[in-house]
Amino acid sequence: MHPINRREFLKLTGVVGSGILGAGALRPLKAIAKEELGRGPYDNGKWIPSCCHMCGGTTGIMCQVVDGRLVRIKPNNHNPVGFTNISDDFFANADKEGAVMCPKGNAGIMALYDPDRVRQPLRRTNPQKGIGIDPQWKVISWEEAYSEIVSKLKNLRDAGEAHQLLWFSEDHCFTHIQDDFCKLFGTPNYNMHSNLCDVGRKASFKILMGDERPLIDAINSKYMLIFGWNPLSATKWSHLPRIITRGVERGAKLVVVDPHLSYTASKAHQWVPLRPGTDGALALAMAHVILRDNLQDQAFIDEWVTGFTEFREYVKDKTPQWAEGITTVPAKTIEQVAREFASTKPALVDVWSGTHHTNGVYAGWAIGSLAVITGNVEKPGTLVLPDKKGNKHIEVEADEAAKVTLKQPRFDGGKDKYPYFNKSGVYAEIINRLSKGGGPYQPKMGMIVFQNLLMAVVGTKNVETALRKFEFLVVVDTMLSETAEFADIVIPGTTYLERYDLNNHWVTWPILGLRQPVVKPLFGQPAEYEFVCELGRRLGLKEGNGGDFFWTGHMSHQRIEDKTKWYEELLSKELKEGEPKITLEELKALPGATWVSKNGTKYNKHTGAIAPEKVQDAFTEGALLFSKKKDGSKDKQIGMLKADGTAVRGFMTPSGKLELYAAKHTGKKDANGKELSPLPAYEPREWQPDDKYPLYLINWKEASQTHSRTQNNAFLAEIKSTDGLRMNKKTAQRLGISQHDEVWVESPYGKVKMKIELTEGIHPEVVGTQHGWGHWALGRIAKGRGAHTGILAPTKPCALSGQSLNKEICVNVTKA
Amino acid sequence: MATPTKSETMFEEVIDQQLGRRSFLKLTALGIVSAAAATLPAEIAEAAKEAVTKRKFRYGMVIDLRRCVNCKACTIACKLENKTPPGVEYNPVIEEEIGEYPYVKRNWFPKPCFHCENPPCTNVCPVSATYKRPEDGIVVVDYKKCIGCRYCITACPYGARYFDFGENYPAQETDYGKILSPEFKGEYGLRKEGKSPDGNVRKCTFCLHLQDEKGHYSRPPACSETCMAKAIHFGDFGENSDGGCITHQDCNLKQLLVARRWIRLKEELGTEPNVYYLM
Repeated sequence: MHPINRREFLKLTGVVGSGILGAGALRPLKAIAKEELGRGPYDNGKWIPSCCHMCGGTTGIMCQVVDGRLVRIKPNNHNPVGFTNISDDFFANADKEGAVMCPKGNAGIMALYDPDRVRQPLRRTNPQKGIGIDPQWKVISWEEAYSEIVSKLKNLRDAGEAHQLLWFSEDHCFTHIQDDFCKLFGTPNYNMHSNLCDVGRKASFKILMGDERPLIDAINSKYMLIFGWNPLSATKWSHLPRIITRGVERGAKLVVVDPHLSYTASKAHQWVPLRPGTDGALALAMAHVILRDNLQDQAFIDEWVTGFTEFREYVKDKTPQWAEGITTVPAKTIEQVAREFASTKPALVDVWSGTHHTNGVYAGWAIGSLAVITGNVEKPGTLVLPDKKGNKHIEVEADEAAKVTLKQPRFDGGKDKYPYFNKSGVYAEIINRLSKGGGPYQPKMGMIVFQNLLMAVVGTKNVETALRKFEFLVVVDTMLSETAEFADIVIPGTTYLERYDLNNHWVTWPILGLRQPVVKPLFGQPAEYEFVCELGRRLGLKEGNGGDFFWTGHMSHQRIEDKTKWYEELLSKELKEGEPKITLEELKALPGATWVSKNGTKYNKHTGAIAPEKVQDAFTEGALLFSKKKDGSKDKQIGMLKADGTAVRGFMTPSGKLELYAAKHTGKKDANGKELSPLPAYEPREWQPDDKYPLYLINWKEASQTHSRTQNNAFLAEIKSTDGLRMNKKTAQRLGISQHDEVWVESPYGKVKMKIELTEGIHPEVVGTQHGWGHWALGRIAKGRGAHTGILAPTKPCALSGQSLNKEICVNVTKA
Repeated sequence: MATPTKSETMFEEVIDQQLGRRSFLKLTALGIVSAAAATLPAEIAEAAKEAVTKRKFRYGMVIDLRRCVNCKACTIACKLENKTPPGVEYNPVIEEEIGEYPYVKRNWFPKPCFHCENPPCTNVCPVSATYKRPEDGIVVVDYKKCIGCRYCITACPYGARYFDFGENYPAQETDYGKILSPEFKGEYGLRKEGKSPDGNVRKCTFCLHLQDEKGHYSRPPACSETCMAKAIHFGDFGENSDGGCITHQDCNLKQLLVARRWIRLKEELGTEPNVYYLM
């Protein structure tokens, strides 16, 4: 490991920036030998490159370890995630400017050394389960823990009920092996985070672009129109603050549509507050203005868009006046923003979790439509479809016994029920079916890995009932979360600083960063993948071909006793067969332990020609080209034939084009049996304020915390120790409420006590708070700070995507 | 009035450094010190000569408020770097809300120590524990000398000084408690109850352990290195410096101050902060 990172090394050797190094007495570093750089404990030990997991953002980090102790975490300049999502920017500037880390990344040391961590396996001795009921933990040995869990799993599998195991996991950590385990064990019920996050957005963009996750090229943009997203503070990807503020610095205008004056809205040139759940109406009215005034990119539309005529017809009466009545945004503001957006190039428009409402998928589609009609797709400075290639998840084949139970329907109804089902599952449906006894069968066992369902899924009382239904529940976590209190056995997990992972997300071109153990697991506990491996071994799970998946080294093909070594080989295999084509050891040796493809960001990928031999080999259906399966049948969509006969990639939609009209929706129904709309139609969200519950309640994320899992972090608690209920001053005046008053926030589902934070920065019909507070467990710091508003909502999935609807809540607020 | 002679300027600098401008003005008013350079007492003249030769750097920051997003990574990076205890934050972010709905804005700025050219905090120290380092101008506290009287906390017009009440994070009971603090090049090592700096005054040192008085090395203070929007630029404003930023290679501090509008806080006090905010 080199003691300093590359950028600093370049500075020292004077390779780069000689103009700065050359003159003055400032840094005559050239002459100084490395050993003379001594500065107390600063350069002791070694620096180990890795990736953060304080959130799912996987930012590159450099960890200084002295005497086996983590001492410091610094940005890793070799990993693009901490710098930019565009390759030109990375290659030209990363060395000069250096990467970044967010406050959570800087506070990672407190997660590692949190004294409230679970150290040993625990078994509950109190059979009663419920919120506020002490499980009366008893420390048990690892052997006891394993044998009890394995015997429960074995009973399930032997009885042909393997599908009755529900598995839940956090994302961007050891997901492949858990997925593999579920398959080899025989349960189709593996669930993984995204459903609580952005599957609504995924559905919107899947319909429109055939790609679930376009990313913003902010640094090259001249106009940024952001709906319901707080990227400068909810910094899941640590490069967002840099690329967005840099875009603004280079002349872009930033406009933020949000009921709350988020930090991003504060930073914007213009804040457009609106009623929650009306974003779709606003977007349609903007489309109306753009098309009325003929500001669309007609050439682009003619070539790459389908359904333009229907869409234009649909928005004809969606006037700014119409939208003003729905959104409260003045018609003249709608006119102004729409015209500016359409007449500035390049412009980008995006939305994230602001659409956690019943009408969210169509709203996201309508918002995306603004990019499409103005031709702001796949160009520099617009929405760009990422070229996501990394390690390859090698499919495992289940054995005969597992195949039988794998054929059982998913407990949540899966894609048969939800037209835009995502493999991460439908948490709200699972909880509802568990608590109310519905569904095709009743699951007996739950395995929850590093997730806190009681606080992550709204409808807390309902979640409580659901968790009680498991005959046997195992929770793997670093902390005794609210959910862990419902476990029969708790297994101590590892933090990201004690384990491996491969990370290849969040930028527009292929990269892959290694997360590796920088310290040994503090309590000698296995990493989660080793725990899963041990279960697989003890259960004797085999592949369809009889292969010993959990024993055989995936590179050496030898039986491997050491589970860490076994996992290292599995990672090597994924790397070798994936895009990097290197081993784990080779990845470790790369600067910053990050593989960065030299290919870089590609724009206008839809115009890319398909090689003639590929066209020849393709399975053709209408204008679409597909690759072929071995038996010659249709496999994946690879491109389209244009009217002139040329074969190009196009978009991965049923028309090969961007779809303002989705013909495939005709005759299809959502989870509630309602017909899908072929257009991004606006319908009011289901739950509207009334006399009894007159205020909208929303929640958001800020840089200071991740979801509901970091509130016990001592550093983070210091920058923001809790959150109150933010309320507009005029609303408070009307209700006779003053600053810092304690109030009851009440919905038909329950009530919570909160402290009022008065502000001018929130829509007068809306109250809101940062998500994640109100813990009654987790640890000594987290406990008793703020309120958990999940109790006020029903557990409800979006009928199209299954997205857990976390923001559709109406409340009444009274003085306590 | 004619341009002051070199010796006059020198004299003023010395007075500023040794006594602070305000105390100097007070003393002059009382007739204790004569303002004429010609009548400089020998020892002050000597000190003046020394100060001028000694002063190599004028470390400071240029903080771009157009970039700053209020993420507070700087605040935490500082805690991680310097291992400061609860309640001791060398670089907090200050926030306010202005305007009326819907024309409303939240403003904020990170607030490290400004390492003023004329620091009002150093002269009040009865035991000379806190001083401006003659070579690089960094305002430091000698934990061995500090008696915890907190005069300096009152004297600082920017609230940049903190008292260490001896509190610890819960993690102190774990391996975290065994990590040496690099502050003052590790001179104080492990945090122990009742031992300095417990019961002392503490403050931002521009990560002193990353700056060498002799100029052999200089590294970005933790806050500037981690900054999510690259808003915090650290470097040398001194006359020998070309303005090169230590945090970001392509940036020049002196050029930034020419190109952009900037402010320093409470300019009217004559403290001459070395932290500039770009507007």
